[in-house]
Amino acid sequence: MNLEEEHSAREADNTSSTESVSSRKLASFFQERPPHVVEVAPQLLRHWTRRDVLLFGTGAIATIVGGGSLLPQTTLQRLGIIDGNEHWPRKEWLLNKSLRIDDDVAEALYSSNRLVPTYTKTQITPLKNNYNGATPDPSYIPEWHLTLDGLASGLSVSLNIQNLLGSFQVHEQITRLVCVEGWSAIAGWAGLRLDDLLRAYPPTSQAKWARLESSVNLGPWRNPDPYYVSLDLSTARHPQTLLATHLNGKPLSVEHGAPLRLLVPVKLGLKNIKAITRITYTKDEPADYWAKRGYSRYDGI
Amino acid sequence: MPQSTQVENERTATSTPESEAGVLVVRRHHLLVRCSHWLNVPILLGLILSGLSIYWASPVYKHKPNPQTGSFDPLADIGIWICAHVPGLHQYISPPDWVYNHISLGPGMLAAALRLHWLCAYLFMLNGLVFVTGLVTGGGWRSLLPRRTDLRDAAKMLWYYIGVPFAKLTRHTWLHPRFNTKYNALQRVAYFSVPIVGLLSVLTGWAIHKPMQLYWLTWVFGGYDKARVWHFWLMWVFVLFVVPHVILVLADGWDTLRSMIVGWSTKTQRSEEFDDEP
Repeated sequence: MNLEEEHSAREADNTSSTESVSSRKLASFFQERPPHVVEVAPQLLRHWTRRDVLLFGTGAIATIVGGGSLLPQTTLQRLGIIDGNEHWPRKEWLLNKSLRIDDDVAEALYSSNRLVPTYTKTQITPLKNNYNGATPDPSYIPEWHLTLDGLASGLSVSLNIQNLLGSFQVHEQITRLVCVEGWSAIAGWAGLRLDDLLRAYPPTSQAKWARLESSVNLGPWRNPDPYYVSLDLSTARHPQTLLATHLNGKPLSVEHGAPLRLLVPVKLGLKNIKAITRITYTKDEPADYWAKRGYSRYDGI
Repeated sequence: MPQSTQVENERTATSTPESEAGVLVVRRHHLLVRCSHWLNVPILLGLILSGLSIYWASPVYKHKPNPQTGSFDPLADIGIWICAHVPGLHQYISPPDWVYNHISLGPGMLAAALRLHWLCAYLFMLNGLVFVTGLVTGGGWRSLLPRRTDLRDAAKMLWYYIGVPFAKLTRHTWLHPRFNTKYNALQRVAYFSVPIVGLLSVLTGWAIHKPMQLYWLTWVFGGYDKARVWHFWLMWVFVLFVVPHVILVLADGWDTLRSMIVGWSTKTQRSEEFDDEP
C-alpha cells in the first residue's frame, strides 16, 4: 500500500463510522501476519543449525578479541590480560579515525552565522578556576602584551591591554561554557571580537588556522608548561568568539586568565585558552595541547 | 511476501505426507535483525563502560563533601561503604574508586573513554539502521506494534513471572496467560520500548555532544544539564531491560535462544488459532 492510499484510508476512517474497504485494508496492513511455517528435512535443519551456530561462535570470539583489544591499555593491564606497554598501531588508527569522523561531523554542523543561546544575568552560575596545573603568579600581568605573528604585513605586532581596549569595540555576552568533562557554567563576558582583530591585523592570505599560546601557563608543580590551542579561522571569525577582558562585569582575575583570554562558546572549554600571550596565523593546522594527549582537535560543540 | 502465498505455503507444508518426516519450523527473526541484536551486546557494553568513565570525570549527582572522606559523589560513597564492610576488601587501595573500577574502564581515562564512546556511538547508530532495515524487510515490525489491551495483558504476564518461583516451590499450578501472537504483551511492550529508548539515548547523546549547533535538541530535553541526566538514566533503562531479558530467555530454553542465532523456531503452534484475532 502506498502513502496516498494509506492517507485516504485514514480519512475514510475519520469521516464515516461504517467500515470502508480502505480502512479494513489499512488495519490489515498493520496487523500481525500469521506465522510462516515451512517444512524442512531434519538433515538440512541440522546442517543449518551447525553452520549458523559455528558462524555465531566464530563471530563472538572475533568480537571478544577485536572489541576487547580496543579497551585502553591500563584497563587491559588491570584485568591482567596484558603486562606492560604494548603498542597496537591498528587499534590507535581505528580509534583516531572515529575521533576524526566525529570532528568532521562537528565541522559540518558548524555554521558561521548560527549564534549560540544567550542567557539573562539571573541565570549566571559560578565558574570555578579550572587551570589544569598551578595558577600562575599574577606578576606577569603588568608586563603582559599580546604578540601577533603570521600577518599579511609580514611584521610581528605587539599590543598591550590599553591598545586593545582603546581601539576596539567592546561586546558583552552571557553564554554557556561547556567542559569536556561534562560540567558547564553560564557566565557574562565582555571583550573585543577576535574577528575585529583579524580585520585590523589581517593574516597572510594562505592562513586557515590560528595558534593561540599562553607562555605563562604552569604545570601541577609550578613548572613552566606553555598551553597552546589550534583554532580554525572560520570559528575565530564567529561573532561570539571574543578576546575577553571582563568576567561578570569585573576585569578578569588571574584565575580566569587575566588580562586576556579566548572565549569561544562554539568550542569545548579546553579551547578557551587563558592569559593569551601570542597568536600565530598558519596555513597548516597547528598542534594542540589536549589533542596531543588523546583528545579531539576540532572540539566543536 | 503476499499473505495468500504464505497461507498456501503453510498448507502445502502441513499437508506433506508423513513419510518424508520433515520438521516444521517457523521463521522468526530476519538475518539483519539477528545481526543487529547480537552486535548490540559489545556495542552497548562499550558505550556503558566508556560512558561511566566519562560520567566519573564530572558526576551528575553530587552532595556536599563528606568531612571524613572528602567524597562528594554517592557512587564513591557506595565504594567506601563496600570496602569497609565486605570481607577481603579492607585493603583496597582506593575505596572511593571501587564502584567505578568495576563498572567503567577505570580511573583517569577521559580521553580514552571519549574515543571509545564515539566509536561505539557511531556503530550503535549504524546498527540501529540495520535493525530497522531488518524489521521492515522481514515484516517483523508488525509483531512489535502495541495493542489496546497490551498494558493489562503485560501486567498479567508480569504477575505470572513473579508467581512462578512461588508456585514451583509450593507445587501449585500456575497457568501461563494465553496469547496467540508472536510475542506476549509484556515482550511486545518491552521490544517496542527498547528501540525507542535507543533512539532517545542517541538524541540525548547528540544534545549533550553538540549543545550549541543543536541547541534546539538540547532545549527539547530541558537544557544541557537535564539532557545529561536523561542520557544517564536511559543507560539504566537498558540495564534494567537486559537483566530480565537474559534470565527469561535462558528460562524459556534453547529453542528461543537458538532462534535468535539461526532465525527459525520449531515452536510452530501459537496458543490459539491465529485467525480469531479481530
